[in-house]
Amino acid sequence: MSAASGSRAAKSGTGKSGTGENGTGGRGRIAERTFSHRLKVWIANPWGHPRFLVIVAWAYVLISIVPVIVAVQFSFNAGRSVTVWQGFDLTKWYFSEPAYSVWHDPRLQHALFQSLKLAGLDMLIATPLGVLLAIGLARWRGPLASASNFIMLFPLVTPELMMGVALFLVFLNLFKFIPPSTTAQVLGHVTFSLSYVVVIVRGRLFSIGKQYEEAAADLGATPWECLRLVLLPLLLPAIFSSLMMVFAISIDDFVISQWLSCGSDCDTVPIRVYSSTRGAPLPSINALAAIMVYMTLSAIGVAWLVHKFMTRGERPEGRGGMMQNMGGFDM
Amino acid sequence: MYPKWLWPVFAVPGVLWLILLFLVPFYAVIGVAFGGIDPIFMNPVPSWNPADWQYDSMIATLKGFLPGNSYWTVLVRTTIYVALALAGSLAIGYPVAYYISRHAKRSKGVLLALLVLPFWVSYMMRMLAWVNLFSPNGYINKFLVWTHLVTTPPDWLNGNPTSVVLGLIYGYVPYLILPLLAALDRIDRSVLEAARDLGASPAEAFYHVTLPLSKPGILGASVIIALPMFGDYYTPNIVSGSPKTTMLGNQIDIYFHGGPQPSVGASLTMLLSLFLAVLMAYYMITIARAQKELQA
Amino acid sequence: MAGGAVELIDLNKLYGTMRAVDNINLHIPGGEFFSLLGSSGCGKTTTLRMIAGFEQPTSGHIILDGVDMTETPPHKRHVNTVFQSYALFPHLNVFDNVAFGLRRQKETPENVTRRVGEALELVQLTGFEKRKPAQMSGGQQQRVALARALVLKPAVLLLDEPLGALDARLRKQLQVELKTLQQQVGITFVYVTHDQEEALTMSDRIAIMSQGRIEQIATPEEMYENPATVFVADFLGVSNLMDGIASGADTGGRCKVKLGGTFELAAGRGSAAASGKTKITIRPERVRLEPKGSGGENRIPGTVQRWVYLGNAVQLIVGLATGDKIQALMQNSGEEIPYREGSEVAVHLPATALRVLTDTGVPLASEGD
Repeated sequence: MSAASGSRAAKSGTGKSGTGENGTGGRGRIAERTFSHRLKVWIANPWGHPRFLVIVAWAYVLISIVPVIVAVQFSFNAGRSVTVWQGFDLTKWYFSEPAYSVWHDPRLQHALFQSLKLAGLDMLIATPLGVLLAIGLARWRGPLASASNFIMLFPLVTPELMMGVALFLVFLNLFKFIPPSTTAQVLGHVTFSLSYVVVIVRGRLFSIGKQYEEAAADLGATPWECLRLVLLPLLLPAIFSSLMMVFAISIDDFVISQWLSCGSDCDTVPIRVYSSTRGAPLPSINALAAIMVYMTLSAIGVAWLVHKFMTRGERPEGRGGMMQNMGGFDM
Repeated sequence: MYPKWLWPVFAVPGVLWLILLFLVPFYAVIGVAFGGIDPIFMNPVPSWNPADWQYDSMIATLKGFLPGNSYWTVLVRTTIYVALALAGSLAIGYPVAYYISRHAKRSKGVLLALLVLPFWVSYMMRMLAWVNLFSPNGYINKFLVWTHLVTTPPDWLNGNPTSVVLGLIYGYVPYLILPLLAALDRIDRSVLEAARDLGASPAEAFYHVTLPLSKPGILGASVIIALPMFGDYYTPNIVSGSPKTTMLGNQIDIYFHGGPQPSVGASLTMLLSLFLAVLMAYYMITIARAQKELQA
Repeated sequence: MAGGAVELIDLNKLYGTMRAVDNINLHIPGGEFFSLLGSSGCGKTTTLRMIAGFEQPTSGHIILDGVDMTETPPHKRHVNTVFQSYALFPHLNVFDNVAFGLRRQKETPENVTRRVGEALELVQLTGFEKRKPAQMSGGQQQRVALARALVLKPAVLLLDEPLGALDARLRKQLQVELKTLQQQVGITFVYVTHDQEEALTMSDRIAIMSQGRIEQIATPEEMYENPATVFVADFLGVSNLMDGIASGADTGGRCKVKLGGTFELAAGRGSAAASGKTKITIRPERVRLEPKGSGGENRIPGTVQRWVYLGNAVQLIVGLATGDKIQALMQNSGEEIPYREGSEVAVHLPATALRVLTDTGVPLASEGD
């Protein structure tokens, strides 16, 4: 009851702020809509309708992001500490420091390139493979198709450790011609990213439906033309989302890369970060991790623009937003 | 319209890939778990034929899980950590998801973008940030000392179970919130309005309508983060690195990367996979049942 | 434009054990506006999709101008479709949408431009070439879909509920335009709809479908005046259906039907020789109400139970002495209607309007009175 009256008071406070713009007569009413008064009403009843939730939500968002911002901050530390701020230096740990900066420490530089190499190859292999698999699985009917569908879902729910151990053992004991190496790492990355591509593309396939291809066939397009002129252009947004998703999960991956690693030559950024954290890390590790953050964020920015550009002609209800496409974790 | 053979042909490369690099590797785990050990080089000799299977290491591993034995302690510890981390994640994640789906209006887009952000920051980066903050002279301890909450700064990063649980929560909450949000968004707003119209207070509407309707979502999101938590070994390694906080994942990691007994490691992997498969199956059945009930 | 005759022979479509289309035989001569009418799930859309080639019939044949097209894939059939959702390609603008089919036929660019221009002029959309489908209203999209199909000069145009997504006013307007357009281009239209008014106003002939079968094929007038089955009588407009016992023809060639055990009526329509259990039907606008006690044949006493003002007419629900309840519709001619709720009347069911139906079919589930 008190909650209801509290929120009503708050509402009337905000409601009046619009009307009294030019009214100088009622001082009381003006006082009532000042910010401090609204704040007081708001604080007086912390359990009023969504207030508790507002605080939790924003607190969570802050707590989840502030540590990352702090970590990025220390990549600009002028000193050698990752916990004590010793002044600002924009470039020191990125490339000016002659021995330990990301650019000059061969282990860090190599890890950066290794991560990018894996992500790039993963995108190139997993995306086309996944797009074909998604189309095939969405339309192929029969028991074999259901079985394949079932297999496809497993990599999504299998903890990476299991997959890492399994791949490690299979390369060690069965596919002996592939020793732990960059090749093994790429094969592993494609295996776990494939299903994400399928999920994203299949979502888009279902929202497109078959109507456009039927219309094309009706207008005289051959099956090949239906695929090339209608289905492919309509799938482009999902293909771009997939590329982004594969890039992001490949860059983020630690477990598979570690289990299939050939040693320091196969170290990726997450492996480098992992093995440095327990030692005495320098801000260059923060800089290395921060570079990945910059890259992913700018890639998302580009992807968002591209996605917006590509689906601009469509009605909003007809498309799954990019966020939905990419957060394909909803099962 | 399209030739019938076209779709299988599309699917074949991907399916073959998954068979060769997903199913076969799991058979390799089984082969090693039931295989022997080369007496000279001490490396595992997998048995591909079930007829040749040897059960020694599997039996030894299973014995380890009996109460009082070494794996038993690890299993209990892992379960407690995961349960606490899950409870903590839900306590944080549900209100956040609920707020965004029900109440956030203008701020919804911003909040969503901020929620998705951790997805794009590598897990290791976030753990690094976490370790930076909790290090002996990090910001957390400085804050605690400054507010006189503690006199001597606690050691967060050496075998502190609290840090492991907090680390797990910090690492996995984002993966919980998105599916929860999707589930809550799927609840038809008019159902809640109907509850209010029929005289339910906001709290009653939440308790009797929203909560039951979001149960499948809660369960699903919980399983989605519980599965990888059971297989986690890097989080405890980073924030604790002590045998006192060893989880099942660490145990497996140790057998392969440090110890001479890969077949025990393979047995452990197999048992953990089976356990998680049971969890998964339970989840699938519950979801199917819930959906049937909701449709009826 | 010559040709465009469609013939369906023993056409069947099974989904598992579900019989979506049940042994349909149909002949549509070239240039006809033919409607398939029925409620959802009656098999009308499946039939249309089989003519277009999107579905393969389980058995039977589809003949187009004497050529068996059953095995021909859709892109090789000289038949085009206007889809319910229009299915305009969202990534192409209006010009490219309409040009899509022409380009598949390898038309020269000049011919494409000219014919797209003509088609857009036909549907009054000149000047919209550069628009994307999403930037147009529902009615405009509908016209683009029409132009896209017509530009190929098909022998037969298939329309799957093309007006279903539009609001009532626009639908009325486009009904007239579609009919005019069909007469202008002179090709066969096969039109699928669940809207009886749409079917009645536009079609040359209608087939009413139910549970995969064709109940009746007739002109709109014939269909309304002389429904062949209980289903058709009930589906099209409002029918008063009453159970009766028939006992053959009387001397005037009309069927004698006993209602409620005591009232002997003469029915001038339907099978005069019927005997045994039947249903008789009469349209509400043909029911006459007369003052209580009026004499003459086919008169049954009754009481007005409800009186509903409809604007252009008044609807009265009358409980008959037989126990049946019937609807009567009286035109609002400006004169006072002397009957109110509770009035006792004599209900005159003119023999010329009373129809005997012999099939044992079940009427539709009634939706209230």
